[in-house]
Amino acid sequence: MGILDIFKGKLLDPTAYPSVHAKGDVITTTVDAVVKWGRKSSIWPMPFGTACCAIEFMALTASHYDLARFGAEVLRFSPRQADLMFVAGTIVDKEGPILKTIYDQMPEPKWVISMGVCASSGGFYRSYHVMQGIDEIIPVDVYVPGCPPAPEALVAAVMKIQDRIMKGEQAKKPQGEHRLGAPGDGFIDRRARKAAWAKDDSERLAKGLPPRGVVSFRVLNNNEPEAEPEHHG
Amino acid sequence: MASTPEVATPAAFPQTNKPVARILTERLGAKVRKVDDWRGDLAITVERSAWVEAATLLRDHPELDFKLFLDLCGVDYLDEREDRFEVVLHAYSVTHKHHVRIKATLPESDATIDTLDKVYKGANWFEREAWDLYGIKFKGHPNLVRILTHKDFVGHGMRKDYPQSKRHVLKEPEAWLLNVPKDSEAMVVNIGPSHPAMHGCFRVQALLDGETIQDAEAEIGYMHRNFEKMSEARTYWQIIPYTDRLNYCSSFMNGHGWALAVEKLLGVPAPPRAEAIRVILSEFSRIMDHFVAIGTNVVDLGAITPFFMLFRVREEIYELLEECCGARLTVSYVRIGGLANDVPDGFVEKCRDLIKRCHKYTDEVDKLLTRNSIFVNRFKDVGALSKEDALSYGWVGPCLRGSGVAYDIRKDQPYSGYEQYDFDVPVGTVGDCYDRYLVRLEEIRQSLRIIEQALGKLPGGPVIVDDKRVALPPKADVYSNIEALMNHFKLVYEGILPPPGEVYGYTEAANGELGYYIVSDGKKFPWRVKVRPPCFNIYQAYPQMIKGGQIADAVAIIGGLNIIAGELDR
Repeated sequence: MGILDIFKGKLLDPTAYPSVHAKGDVITTTVDAVVKWGRKSSIWPMPFGTACCAIEFMALTASHYDLARFGAEVLRFSPRQADLMFVAGTIVDKEGPILKTIYDQMPEPKWVISMGVCASSGGFYRSYHVMQGIDEIIPVDVYVPGCPPAPEALVAAVMKIQDRIMKGEQAKKPQGEHRLGAPGDGFIDRRARKAAWAKDDSERLAKGLPPRGVVSFRVLNNNEPEAEPEHHG
Repeated sequence: MASTPEVATPAAFPQTNKPVARILTERLGAKVRKVDDWRGDLAITVERSAWVEAATLLRDHPELDFKLFLDLCGVDYLDEREDRFEVVLHAYSVTHKHHVRIKATLPESDATIDTLDKVYKGANWFEREAWDLYGIKFKGHPNLVRILTHKDFVGHGMRKDYPQSKRHVLKEPEAWLLNVPKDSEAMVVNIGPSHPAMHGCFRVQALLDGETIQDAEAEIGYMHRNFEKMSEARTYWQIIPYTDRLNYCSSFMNGHGWALAVEKLLGVPAPPRAEAIRVILSEFSRIMDHFVAIGTNVVDLGAITPFFMLFRVREEIYELLEECCGARLTVSYVRIGGLANDVPDGFVEKCRDLIKRCHKYTDEVDKLLTRNSIFVNRFKDVGALSKEDALSYGWVGPCLRGSGVAYDIRKDQPYSGYEQYDFDVPVGTVGDCYDRYLVRLEEIRQSLRIIEQALGKLPGGPVIVDDKRVALPPKADVYSNIEALMNHFKLVYEGILPPPGEVYGYTEAANGELGYYIVSDGKKFPWRVKVRPPCFNIYQAYPQMIKGGQIADAVAIIGGLNIIAGELDR
């Protein structure tokens, strides 16, 4: 018994990797697969908990639901040591620049789970001080609905992230990453915001500037043809 | 003969004979404009020139003795009244057990009033809030700046002419909260808003000399999600889900308080079975809240075992709530005039079983912590606050009782039938972290005692009041007869229509007195809802408490205060 058996049993499907030797002493695989497996099984989440959802997040990490079963129990409160951010709770305008700073401080590759309707869309707080969804300022990979979502839903979200890591997908392209302070930021109506962003992008294009939502140095999956920049609003 | 008919003489207010009104009118004379006693709430309107005088009199007169500062807020009447703004002060006397509401009106052209900062320590932040949300200026206030909204916000959000959803974006957070002298060698440490010890989103900036905190300043508003503004465009029912998200560690109790406040406004009490079930679930919520407070507090100090133990049994209380109403955390189980539906079969047995489990785990945590020397060293004589300061800041609940004041609304002003149950109010002696921990631990046991008694005499009958103006008719009737259908339609479409007036409803929530000050104009939406948040007062004292202490103690103190962001910033 050794680490190779673990690889054979859990990591590699022999039909997909015919180069695994039958006797089990030697396997050949790609570094890529091992790295993916490692990333998948040791996600270090950072809870950006602000409100009610943070309480349910605590329930997720505590004894009953036990996030450790998915290899993600090492909660890091420093963004520099984390690769998955749970945005748990309402993000208000005052908190916006802080969320953005913390997201920027996380090393790549990084993932974001938007927990609950407040983080996803502002929820039922459509008011003068509440951000209408964190995707106004940072990209989101998995949205979890619910107010607050049950811990089972969060487990599903973590598994979705794991699946995507195994498939080699990159985190979602920045949607409105650099939108903070752009025209249209602060519009409560998503359609109005989308229109304002489109107008802003076309004005930037006329000046020869890239659209605000695109960060140039970020390396995305090279095999896939680059899709047209799309603005989620 | 007085020049205006509004001028006060004791004979002009025959509707009340409360000593508070008598003494105030005797002492202030014509400066008392109006005395009102409606639904048991005494409200006295004074001239704004007598504002500080009235508050000082309330605090110092031995027959009044309003030492406990509760709440100060603004109200905007727009065109409804001659003077647009009103400032409202709530206070309580622990010795005489009475509440009072003092009001002063301010015209729009000159919305200024003297500050109460010297009278009550707790008034400081409340006045900043009134400035932030209503633009009311407080003359002589030491630091009248925005508190809940951010520095780039334009306008005053709670004013009636401010659109509900007009946002202003903040690009750069406020960098400095403290005034650091130029040649100072002290180090500035910024804690929060995203910091594990800050439980959500509070921010503290501390000036350090070695490990000693020389100066500290707190900033809040990172969870200001406008409960009060949203309430002004929601019917009395629709506000229930919003109340769940105030103190989300014990959601049920907020709804309970809201329902009682609206029932007070309507004059419609809930049936006895509903009240008994409310008491049972409220006490379970209190236990859950204390579990979170103790569990997370010791996690911050490095002990994770109690957290796992307490969360295990907390999960079982969640299951009970889930069986009752389908939701774990944000329950929305109460209705105005009762409960949404009756409890499921086997509720009593399940509760009895839970009581045993709660006892077991509480005892284990007690064994792990109470005599643990590491824990005791971190907690004893740390963050002590005197009785007088605690009252002046407006502390309530376990924190005030930790400081040695036996004020528990369940005993002093019983509601929902708490007078039938036999329980003790634990009180601390020194007012340090250890006292607050012991008070919480004992309150868990007392709550279990209350639940046991309530289960023993759980009355039968309906769980919602039989009143067409308040409660929806049963679903079966709605589908089978036209009268019920019309009642249902009208109630859903028009909402509950309370009489015009104002009440202050208060309950003992897990963190202390949770009050709702409701102003109704007789329409389906409340004109103004002000939450009296226990955490707001408690957190206000925090920068003062950590000054002179060690930086590590600041972490121990904040966990023990159990500040909940949703309630703090609303």
